[in-house]
Amino acid sequence: MENLDSLKDLWKNQGESKIRYSQDDIHKMVQQKSSSIVKWILIISLLEFILPNLIFLFTDFESTRKFFEEYGLSNTMNIYSAVHIVVIIAFIYLFYKNYRNISAESSVKILLANIIKTRRTVKYYIYYNLTIMGIIGLHMFYAAYNSVSFQHNLEAGSSMLMIWVVSIVLLCLALLIFWLFYKILYGFFLRKLKRNYAALSNRDDL
Amino acid sequence: MVTKELEQKFAKELEQHQSIIHKVCRSYTNNEAAHKDLFQEITIQLWKAYPKFRGESKFSTWMYRVAFNTAISLYRKKKRNVETTQIYDNLKELEYHDYDDSIDKQLKLLYKAIYSLNDIEKALALMYLEDKSYKEISKTLGISEVNARVKMNRTKTKLKNILNP
Repeated sequence: MENLDSLKDLWKNQGESKIRYSQDDIHKMVQQKSSSIVKWILIISLLEFILPNLIFLFTDFESTRKFFEEYGLSNTMNIYSAVHIVVIIAFIYLFYKNYRNISAESSVKILLANIIKTRRTVKYYIYYNLTIMGIIGLHMFYAAYNSVSFQHNLEAGSSMLMIWVVSIVLLCLALLIFWLFYKILYGFFLRKLKRNYAALSNRDDL
Repeated sequence: MVTKELEQKFAKELEQHQSIIHKVCRSYTNNEAAHKDLFQEITIQLWKAYPKFRGESKFSTWMYRVAFNTAISLYRKKKRNVETTQIYDNLKELEYHDYDDSIDKQLKLLYKAIYSLNDIEKALALMYLEDKSYKEISKTLGISEVNARVKMNRTKTKLKNILNP
């Protein structure tokens, strides 16, 4: 096989594949469900959109309302909720728009770019969630630690600085676990696609 | 066209042109079960796209594009697949011990060599062997013709090195 051009003849003259399908087989295949990566990305992404908000289902609304009222957070939380709903709708719209652009008829590079872009929308959504969780967490700590009841019950000699440091470390740890879990999931789906996209996009080749 | 008629037309055309998909499947997989899995996924993707196929390009060209897209981007290999490096070792072993000039043996070696390339290089190797023009290659992959030429030369060198170690 010294000369690659001679392989073209070998290639063209290869016989039929050992596996061969009849029209009946093809009809049966058409009825099967796709198990493509895009389908999984859609399912996982929708879960990622829904799951962070499912926490509310397990919330004791009455005690939460009392907690917010006690620390004067009711109005602030209403604003956060309104902003959150608008942001979720915007993200779902963007996700749907990108998802619709995924077509197996595109060029390989455009298809890869569209899948990565669709998934990136979810990545930004997760980052938004982590940020908002961080902000709300800090806001709640601030309101709670400055309240009269907390100050009243504070033992003599307790260091507020220490309380803040422990609270922030715990908050960061919770966010880090969430972020790591997402990173693993994100990498699991996109590793191969990113590698192939990079192979097509090498700047030094242009 | 009614779906039933469309499906029949599709099944007929696909049956006639299935060798194209088999070539792609054999290049991107290393066992029969994976080959069949990929063939099925390509067929589903082709069928999903078929109502929009206007015949602006040849059916075979259109099939190639969808088949490559499925193999490169959409298909998730099952765990049973053997790693590329292992295949490459097998290839060397086979060449050393069992090489003869029979067409089947040469084809087997060629497919194993293609399998050891990365996903993009596999597509380039297949399009080279199918004698596709650089214009078509660049359109299929979505890169410039210059870029396609550079990548093709690298792929050919790599393929040559694998086949003539």
